[in-house]
Amino acid sequence: MDYILNITFFILKGSIITFKLYIVTAIFSVILGVLGALGKISGIKFLERILGIYTWVFRGTPLLLQIFFAYYGLPVLGITLQPFTAAALTFIFNYGAYLVEIFRAGIESIDKGQYEAAKVLGMNYRQTMFRIIIPQTIKRILPPSSNEAINLVKDSALVAAIGLGDLLRAAKVIVTRDFTILPFVIATIFYLIISSVIVTIFKRLERKFSVYE
Amino acid sequence: MNSAKMKMLDVRNLNKSFINNKVLKNINFTVNEGEVIAIIGPSGSGKSTLLRCLIELEEIGDGEIIIEGISLSGSEKIKRKMGMVFQSFNLFPHKTVLENVIEAPMVVEKMERKKAIEIAEELLKKVGLLEKRDVYPSRISGGQKQRVAIARALAMNPDIMLFDEPTSSLDPELVGEVLAVIKELAEENMTLIIVTHEMGFAREVADRIIFMDVGEIVANTIPDKIFINPEQERIATFLKKMI
Repeated sequence: MDYILNITFFILKGSIITFKLYIVTAIFSVILGVLGALGKISGIKFLERILGIYTWVFRGTPLLLQIFFAYYGLPVLGITLQPFTAAALTFIFNYGAYLVEIFRAGIESIDKGQYEAAKVLGMNYRQTMFRIIIPQTIKRILPPSSNEAINLVKDSALVAAIGLGDLLRAAKVIVTRDFTILPFVIATIFYLIISSVIVTIFKRLERKFSVYE
Repeated sequence: MNSAKMKMLDVRNLNKSFINNKVLKNINFTVNEGEVIAIIGPSGSGKSTLLRCLIELEEIGDGEIIIEGISLSGSEKIKRKMGMVFQSFNLFPHKTVLENVIEAPMVVEKMERKKAIEIAEELLKKVGLLEKRDVYPSRISGGQKQRVAIARALAMNPDIMLFDEPTSSLDPELVGEVLAVIKELAEENMTLIIVTHEMGFAREVADRIIFMDVGEIVANTIPDKIFINPEQERIATFLKKMI
């Protein structure tokens, strides 16, 4: 029993990195997603082109490759990042790219009559977007965003590839040391708990935002 | 026409094209304070486009739109002298009835919430929907939605109200309640410009009828001259189809 508690604690310590990465990515990729989506519908051709290339590259290449590039590739260009910084930046840009597309699609799905109603009432672009359009978008982007939120839990395990001691890596260390698969079982339970919490949060949000349907 | 009254709207030589298609051809008309104008005519005659040009939802090709003596040139203040009600209501679905009405006064006019609610409740009472104040638009009928939309536009205290086929997407039994509200505004001497297919209503409420066909104003005159022995063949043909 002591043994199980010990390795559970060890794996839990590893999961701190996972949680940190999760929270940092969730916050900044959402901000990046909103700004990117607004940029993509801004009508500024240059900006739309840049953002197009950005989402194309980050959605079109493996996340693991992007992590390697940030950690091993950037030093070649004279930019050396700490492992966590490299991982966090990569995750923010990778998930940001997906969210840009999800948010853009959500914004574009709002009826143009909503813009017209806001306009004839005298609202400016910022008021229209932040008070009328984006709040309606939230409900529509929750289901696809929920998928991304769960993917992020699982993708976070990739950071072990650049030596970060995350949840999965902590489990693997003990598996190798003690020659038991018990740590993997514990890790599985951890992942399932985290995913379930996220699913529950999103379900609540969806319910909250469906009051006006 | 009562020339002693103030000229609210003066449209001069307005032209508009979509690509190669001229949708408005040399439109000229004026609207005086307190006048009720009904714009009628066949589908695709440019009625709605004209209305949308007045409130800058469409760019005009050339010509001039003068509102209360000031040329319309993108100034926010002038735009706010007009309110508009759409065929498809365009209520904000994520806001309750009350929130729909107080939104613009609070956000655009920076009105205090308490004051905005006071005004909104007054307007909702006027359109007979005060008891629906905390309901979301998805829970009310089309006729009720349109009445909320009217209250929402009135909350900005416009001098001119534009109605773009306000009853065209309503079930027949819901048309009356919306027309009754518009009629009430007309009786209060509000300046109204109404694009409509409701001939009986146009005849009853309007001081003047503008008949449009293929982007032109064919007639601009009192209702009786339209509905009783119209001079133009086009109008007679159209009315025969409508009634």
